[in-house]
Amino acid sequence: MNDKEDEKYKKTNNQISRRDFLKLTGTIVIWMGVGSCSYVIPVSGGYILVDPKKCQGCISCMLACSLVHEGVENPSLSRIQVLQNSFNKWPEDQKIEQCRQCVDPACVKACPAGALKANAEYDNVRMVDKNKCIGCGTCIRVCPYIPTRSVWNFEEAHAQICDLCANTPYHWDAAGGGPDGKQACVEVCPVGALQFTKEVPEQEGDSGYKVNLRGESWAALGYPID
Amino acid sequence: MNGYAGKILRVHLTDRKISSIPTSDYEQWVGGHGIGSALFFDLVKDKTIDGFDPANVMTLMTSPLSGTLVPGASGRTEVQAIGVQSYPIGWYTRSNFGGRFSAMLKYAGWDGIVIEGKADTPVWIDLRDDKVEIRECSLLSLWGKDTWDCQRAIWDYVVGNGSYDDWWELNGTNGGRTTQRPAVVAIGPAGEHLSRLACLIHDASNASGQGGFGAVWGSKNLKAISVIGTGSIHIHDPKALLQARLSQKEQYAFDLDNLGQIAFSTEFRCPPLPGVFWEREKQHGPQACVGCHSGCRARYESGRGNEASCMTTLFYFGFAHTNEIQYQAADLLNKYGLNAFEVTIGFQYIFMLNWLGALGPGKEIDCPLDFDDLGSLEFVEQFVKMIAYRNDGLGNECEFGDTIAEGFCRAAQKWGRLEGDEGDLKTGLLTFPHWGLPVHRNPRGQLEWGYGSILGDRDINEHCFDHLYQDPMRASNKGIPVRATAEEAVTIYTDKMVPYEGDRLMLDYSTDNMYSEHIAKFVAWHRHYTRFWKQSLLFCDWRWPDFLNVSAPQRIGSTGEAEPQFLNAVTGKNFTFLDGMELGRKIWNLDHAIWTLQGRHRDIVHFADYIYSTPLEEQYLVPGRKNGAWDYIDVTGRCIDKEKFEEFKTRFYELEGWDPATGYPTRDTLESLGLGFVADELEQNGKLGGE
Repeated sequence: MNDKEDEKYKKTNNQISRRDFLKLTGTIVIWMGVGSCSYVIPVSGGYILVDPKKCQGCISCMLACSLVHEGVENPSLSRIQVLQNSFNKWPEDQKIEQCRQCVDPACVKACPAGALKANAEYDNVRMVDKNKCIGCGTCIRVCPYIPTRSVWNFEEAHAQICDLCANTPYHWDAAGGGPDGKQACVEVCPVGALQFTKEVPEQEGDSGYKVNLRGESWAALGYPID
Repeated sequence: MNGYAGKILRVHLTDRKISSIPTSDYEQWVGGHGIGSALFFDLVKDKTIDGFDPANVMTLMTSPLSGTLVPGASGRTEVQAIGVQSYPIGWYTRSNFGGRFSAMLKYAGWDGIVIEGKADTPVWIDLRDDKVEIRECSLLSLWGKDTWDCQRAIWDYVVGNGSYDDWWELNGTNGGRTTQRPAVVAIGPAGEHLSRLACLIHDASNASGQGGFGAVWGSKNLKAISVIGTGSIHIHDPKALLQARLSQKEQYAFDLDNLGQIAFSTEFRCPPLPGVFWEREKQHGPQACVGCHSGCRARYESGRGNEASCMTTLFYFGFAHTNEIQYQAADLLNKYGLNAFEVTIGFQYIFMLNWLGALGPGKEIDCPLDFDDLGSLEFVEQFVKMIAYRNDGLGNECEFGDTIAEGFCRAAQKWGRLEGDEGDLKTGLLTFPHWGLPVHRNPRGQLEWGYGSILGDRDINEHCFDHLYQDPMRASNKGIPVRATAEEAVTIYTDKMVPYEGDRLMLDYSTDNMYSEHIAKFVAWHRHYTRFWKQSLLFCDWRWPDFLNVSAPQRIGSTGEAEPQFLNAVTGKNFTFLDGMELGRKIWNLDHAIWTLQGRHRDIVHFADYIYSTPLEEQYLVPGRKNGAWDYIDVTGRCIDKEKFEEFKTRFYELEGWDPATGYPTRDTLESLGLGFVADELEQNGKLGGE
């Protein structure tokens, strides 16, 4: 796929609003470029929302992610990234950047190997089948967000994205993860700065994904809740 | 090696030689302090050298838990070397700091760093995964920069792309990549000018505070160490680790929706509140070290006072005209790289001397500070810079600045105020009770703190038993009930203090009991627990141990079970709590052998005179027996009796298996701990105890 088409898909994704989407039956049909193939990308059964103002920067979410997926502790393999600068003014001192399970996923559409798909077995969570991934890096390039949400696993040479803990060989819960299970990052976050939802968030801008999770109990600790 | 990176970096600054030591060579010591002391013993032949000697070896060590999800045990780095702050002998000592350095070092593939020698020009060390370079400070004009500017300059250089928003690759190939900034630990101008109060600073306010390690780095021409890593720490049982983490959180940690009784700042169940003495800015958010289940710092909308906690937030308290000035005073300590503890208590001393008319411009102690301006930002900035630059704080030569940069005990000595009947350590004007270091908890009240400090190398700064006195004090001040009666608390605590469990008198702080063999066991237990579980495995002092936990069933906290459970989940070892206590005893014996080689003899193990002669003035409620019944008793008005303290030392030495005549370790004890080689060295130096 060339850069012009990358741009087009980035723009399309940002412009589709939740309302437009809900007008349809819940699916979007898109014709892929020149190749005359088309396929249906159903919406994901789940999403992670974050509150960067609540975040304590402990990166427990990142450590939990690589632990349940790869069985190791390695922030570089985490599909959720917390970036921070100790010297900055709050709240510009840190960011939580999670995969959005986009309604119109550029990464899924771009994958030439059919490795990155909406997996029907897990309620259409966008996820990478690492056995099919050819390591071309296209999904990484086309993700419209910074840092790119598709993570390059340089130890195993394949891409990986947040799968809402669907494929987690080290999940602590017998019921496992996925949209119907528990997400390691959400469960481990000491302050509740991450929340799982089945509701499709507003796709345009950040307001759908960066939310206020601070309530009266947070205020009781003396922190602002606005 | 699950939990470990597998190798320790060795940097010889004189030769600019970089090599590595297999961690497996030291695995019996498990991590942190244990490995550090063992390395020091092997690498430093002459233990009597001064801390400024290039042959002084410094270790920065992680533990197998660093960089993992073990709660309150993932973020700290243990630093050890011959220090330059204690008086009259610079003991081989320790300090540690939080944040993200230890985690990043592990991801880079290193369990620790050993630094030897002295570089011939100022340098910094650049670690990027396996790649290690010693670089000239001149490359980035680092020498002379404050710690914050230094760290940011290194970030810009290492990351190199001007923005920190996206993934970047460490070495340009299709190898490791990260979104994170390098973790940097640095000295400021104070270390560069060899101030004995200089510390190491990481990020905004993580400080390896005690020991004068900033000056040790300065003497080696070492400005900073930067590390960025992209590797994996292998975990023996990932599911077990996650399960343990989540259940520990559920059972023993705070519940935001049900906070319950107000927690002390140094307990496992404390919610994520910044442990600060100042009034918090309204707009701020919590901040934690890597992996911690409940952070103890914050970052602020003003950007001032970021990550500061505890003593750093007490500096200039009560003097500063505004909160804003107090926040900036904390930032000054961090940027110039100074130990908050001694600077804060020392400042109070200087204030008193001025108030007494002995110190000021043109006074007997000629000090260029304008005390009419006390409370302003300019005043405190001048004071901080005086110590950092050894001058008048305004860029001019000045004996006063040079003198206090040597620490306040040495300053008092220089001013002729230290010794004698009217000496400041006799009257208590200089509240530095142990080894020329400032008071933290009062030795006359909080026995394990004072005894542990004087029998060791420094203000121990281990809050393990604080709640035994904080609980009744708070209850008394606020008119609320205690968390537990004295007897209940003592029972819960002593049940966990293996192998001495069951001896309730270990926690009887009463005057009748304060020199007993029970208190000796208390102190020994504390030394052993902290040397292993807190300073080798690096369970954080503000969250561990978890003795009494009002959120837990029967108020019984998780210490004794949680620590080994986490260790074993990460490493696959089969350590028991008792195993760790025994290893802690071994490490403590090794340290004591080092101090003995440095010149420790029981005759010099004494508090400052005022501890023996000046009664404890403040109310001090502690558990104890009165007429056979347990209660919280007030031990105000007591001193430590010098002769009885001598008897206590004898009991302590006998308990530890050391020669009571000298305090020296004995061959029997050392060999029983597998330290026969240590006995050999002591013997060669005429320092082995008689049996």
